[in-house]
Amino acid sequence: MPDRLSFYLKKNSIIHALNPFTKLTLVFAIVTYGLIGAGFWTATILVCLALLPLAFTARLLKEYLGVAVKLILPTAGFMFVMQSIFIPGGTTEIFRLGSISIELETVQRSYLIASRIFLFISAFALLLLTTHPSELMTNLTQRGLPPQFAYVIISTLQIIPQMQAKSLTIIAAQRSRGLDTESSFIKRIGLLVPLVGPLVFGSLVEVEERAIAIEARGFTSTHKKTYLHEVPDTNLDRAIRTILIALIIVAVVWRVWPS
Amino acid sequence: MAIVNLQNVTYKYPLTEKPALQNIDLQMKEGEFVAVIGPNGAGKSTLCYTLAGFVPHFFKGELTGSVEVARNETSKSNLHEWVLNVGLAFQNPFNQISGAKYTVFEEIAFGLENIGVPREEMKGRVKEAMKMTGISDLADRSPYSLSGGQQQRVALTSILVMQPKVLVLDEPTSQMDPIGTREVFSVVRTMAERGMTVILAEHKMEWIANFADRVIALHEGQILVDGKPGEVLTSDVLTEKGFGISRYTSVARRARELGLWKRDTLPVTLEEAVKGFKE
Ligand SMILES: Nc1ncnc2c1ncn2[C@@H]1O[C@H](COP(=O)(O)OP(=O)(O)OP(=O)(O)O)[C@@H](O)[C@H]1O
Ligand SMILES: [Mg+2]
Repeated sequence: MPDRLSFYLKKNSIIHALNPFTKLTLVFAIVTYGLIGAGFWTATILVCLALLPLAFTARLLKEYLGVAVKLILPTAGFMFVMQSIFIPGGTTEIFRLGSISIELETVQRSYLIASRIFLFISAFALLLLTTHPSELMTNLTQRGLPPQFAYVIISTLQIIPQMQAKSLTIIAAQRSRGLDTESSFIKRIGLLVPLVGPLVFGSLVEVEERAIAIEARGFTSTHKKTYLHEVPDTNLDRAIRTILIALIIVAVVWRVWPS
Repeated sequence: MAIVNLQNVTYKYPLTEKPALQNIDLQMKEGEFVAVIGPNGAGKSTLCYTLAGFVPHFFKGELTGSVEVARNETSKSNLHEWVLNVGLAFQNPFNQISGAKYTVFEEIAFGLENIGVPREEMKGRVKEAMKMTGISDLADRSPYSLSGGQQQRVALTSILVMQPKVLVLDEPTSQMDPIGTREVFSVVRTMAERGMTVILAEHKMEWIANFADRVIALHEGQILVDGKPGEVLTSDVLTEKGFGISRYTSVARRARELGLWKRDTLPVTLEEAVKGFKE
């Protein structure tokens, strides 16, 4: 079982030290600009001028680029295939592979969509890389997010690696009783059925036990909660948030203003 | 004045015919350490749930009789108030992990956050509790990455740290080695001496004999015997009803049949057995 259950990478940087809410506002601002800015290069510019410097300041440039490569290449590729199949009709042929012609318009459209998706997802990735999930949740709960909601988010994030580990255990157990999981793909799909039962029903029973367990720890107590982690909110944080919110308002007003 | 007072308690889980607990009468003094024994399905966990208020607040079904702890009655209280008085550590440690915390330290602090303990006091209490149960070195580990025995210690610590009046432990050492078991029993003993009332479901007879003040044998939801460990754990009824008994007791009983055991009482622990055989 992996000891690292979150994206978070501890580093000593200004970005790490910012209040999670400030970073969340930043993500929100970037998403707003990405959606509002209609230009072909908007997303690319935001990535280059905002996210890359941020990643660099957070000393996570390498990790950020890693995510970029893993994320942008497949998305762009996928978009390109989808676009070529469903929206043909470009006119500027770049080159031709046998009977398939590759058109400039298709490439452009795919790039536009992929770069936007990348902008949004990698902005979030940067938030998660630099913010400890407990701090994020503590902070959001303090700002009024219902604790039940925060609990669901955090425990879901944690449960995924667990489910993986458990399905491996079940597979091993069933294989040791003669279940064949190594033959052809189609056959294996069918054979996965026996895995679903224990995994799902096992999880349901666990949900009940876990509900009792958090109840036993006073989760539904009516006392005002306190928090182990202090999440500092500095003047710098407030200043950055004010600027970001101003920028968001400017962008929105700019966009909706009847011209 | 008894801090725990169960009178004529009978409980059926929903959709079941047979009661899981039947006519249970149980009074416990403050600071008393009571062990509950019984074969699988005897109702040990159900008794624990009942004391901790999960029967009837979480498990519905049919509860009759009265369950009182510190003069409050379960049926008249809210579960979230009840858990402040009665802490429960479950049989399965894995499902006790809150699932919302990334380190053992945070995990143990979870209960204190929920009941609004101020931060500095919280940190102090978590540290102290971890030291007591010997898990200080696990503070920064992920609760998921621990062994079963370590998880059980974390589960116990998470409840201890909340300082309940009554501590209910459902097989808290089931995944522990003898060293772990000894440590847990002595921590629990210490808590009892400090005035915490402890009820512990357990199969390990020798440990019970060494540490508990009193033993209750449950069988098919009923109390079969209730008394001092030395008497209950060696009583003939246990063998008749198919309880697992200490091997020293079985050996001595066989020896008595052969005329090799001279004492009136049978031993539970190795020390008692050795002494008895020397005579
Ligand atoms: N959630 C439930 N719904 C219905 N019946 C249950 C439920 N939990 C337990 N029972 C039944 O109640 C009886 C007592 O079970 P309990 O779990 O209290 O036994 P136990 O003494 O703790 O056993 P073990 O040593 O296996 O932990 C059993 O007959 C069991 O099948
Ligand atoms: Mg049980």
